[in-house]
Amino acid sequence: MTETVLESQSLTKYFGKTVAVDHLNLEIPRGCICGFVGRNGAGKTTAIKLMLGLLKPTIGSSKLLGCDSMALTPVIRQRIGYVTEGHRLFRWMSIGRLEKFQRAFFQKQWDERLFADMLEYFGLSKKQKIKHLSNGQRAQVSLALALAPNPELLIMDDPTLGLDAAIRRQFLAGMIELIMREGRTALFSSHILGDVERVSDRIVVIDKGRLRANCTLEQFRNSVKKVKVAFADRAPTEFEIEGLLNCRRSEKELELVLIGTDSNRINEWAKTVGAEKYQIVQMNLEDQFIEYTAPASKGKLFRWEEI
Amino acid sequence: MRFLAILRKELRECLPWIVLATAVLFVFGYVELFERTIPQNIDYRYRLFSPSNDVYPFDLTKRSLLAGMGQLLLVVSIGLGLAMGIRQFWVDHYAGTWGFTVHRSVNREKILSAKLTAAAIGFVVSIGAIWCLLFLYASKAPNFYVPPAKRIFFEGWVYIVSGLVVYSAAALAGLSTVRWYTTKIFGLAFAAIVLFVMVFQWRLSYAFLALLVGIFVLVVQITQTFLNREF
Repeated sequence: MTETVLESQSLTKYFGKTVAVDHLNLEIPRGCICGFVGRNGAGKTTAIKLMLGLLKPTIGSSKLLGCDSMALTPVIRQRIGYVTEGHRLFRWMSIGRLEKFQRAFFQKQWDERLFADMLEYFGLSKKQKIKHLSNGQRAQVSLALALAPNPELLIMDDPTLGLDAAIRRQFLAGMIELIMREGRTALFSSHILGDVERVSDRIVVIDKGRLRANCTLEQFRNSVKKVKVAFADRAPTEFEIEGLLNCRRSEKELELVLIGTDSNRINEWAKTVGAEKYQIVQMNLEDQFIEYTAPASKGKLFRWEEI
Repeated sequence: MRFLAILRKELRECLPWIVLATAVLFVFGYVELFERTIPQNIDYRYRLFSPSNDVYPFDLTKRSLLAGMGQLLLVVSIGLGLAMGIRQFWVDHYAGTWGFTVHRSVNREKILSAKLTAAAIGFVVSIGAIWCLLFLYASKAPNFYVPPAKRIFFEGWVYIVSGLVVYSAAALAGLSTVRWYTTKIFGLAFAAIVLFVMVFQWRLSYAFLALLVGIFVLVVQITQTFLNREF
């Protein structure tokens, strides 16, 4: 049986009357790199803070490494690395001083060599002050600080936000190298889908606080399809097809976004509605994500189903 | 080890304010005492206590050289309290470093106690130590015609503790996430009331008591807010 390192049941958070996270039921197995994606304001940061016990849920609960998030003991926290959004570190400290400060909390766990190696890899010196570092360099220091204690679970809140492409790649490569160690799990939120595609083997999609998908990346890639269907005459206004998420209609063409509908079904359906021809459009993860989280249009043609 | 790491960090962050308070008190205190040792001032004092005038024991204490230091001590102490409260509890909020501070292998009680201990140490080693030195100087210097009474020494400590009330109030306001015109202002308003009550106490012990009760109420609030706050 796969061990779960992170799970939540009906995790909900309201800020006043606004719901930020809405009945989130999530399970993340050990040993995966999980991309936690959603649009701006989807509730990613709030969900992460709830899971880390930094915010209190309005309803529901969550567990990290088998321990309730609201009662995480120092021993459990020691096993969880956390990279905060925006890489907020103590600006007056030098990297060396920050390392010393951080090391005090991870006596035996702290891997001094790893930390030094990472600084070398990123081209940073311990003498540099945090306030003099660029956003990208602070991200690198944050990652080094989070990884040096060898955490079992690494949670990163939009770690590549504001970084240029080269630094992002370097950052992600550093992350993967460390996560590949046996039994490590990483959850990182991002809205840069290219990053998620590059490093994740699992994807969690959240939209308006609600869980939309929690599956392997491969499953997601295979499930979300865009089909262009051409008709000799007018395209039908009413039809039924399994897994219809979204539909755009022009006079002689339908563009369908489907979830979990296999090719045979699409073929059968195309014959049924009298389509002249159809084509399954190749999409990258970003296109799939955009289609998947596009606001649902009103009308009886449009619907969505969970994966 | 973990407590010490946080304590060191807190002390270092408050160091500029601690040094500034120390310097201000030392310089102004020394000038105040030095001014009283120059001949014309000494003559004035001698004339005040000339045989033709009645001198009451109370005058001896009230007109001591250090009596004029009260206002300075109070101002420096309140200033330091405000600065440290803001540095420890407001800056983290605006810099967004609470998450980094709180998510570590140590419980919140320890983080808070390190912050409060740093503040107490800051007050003792800056204002407290300088006040003790100035008092000692005033007691021993040969040119001073009346050595300061012990009461003045304790009065000084009342003013120093007043700064801790203001510190606690600033801390509570910094931790509170509600609006200014609601309970966020509670700590500062309460501190003002406590200081008002303290100033009008005839007995030193009552003044101390008022301050200690004030600090106790504020620290209980701070503890509850810090342990339950969402960061």
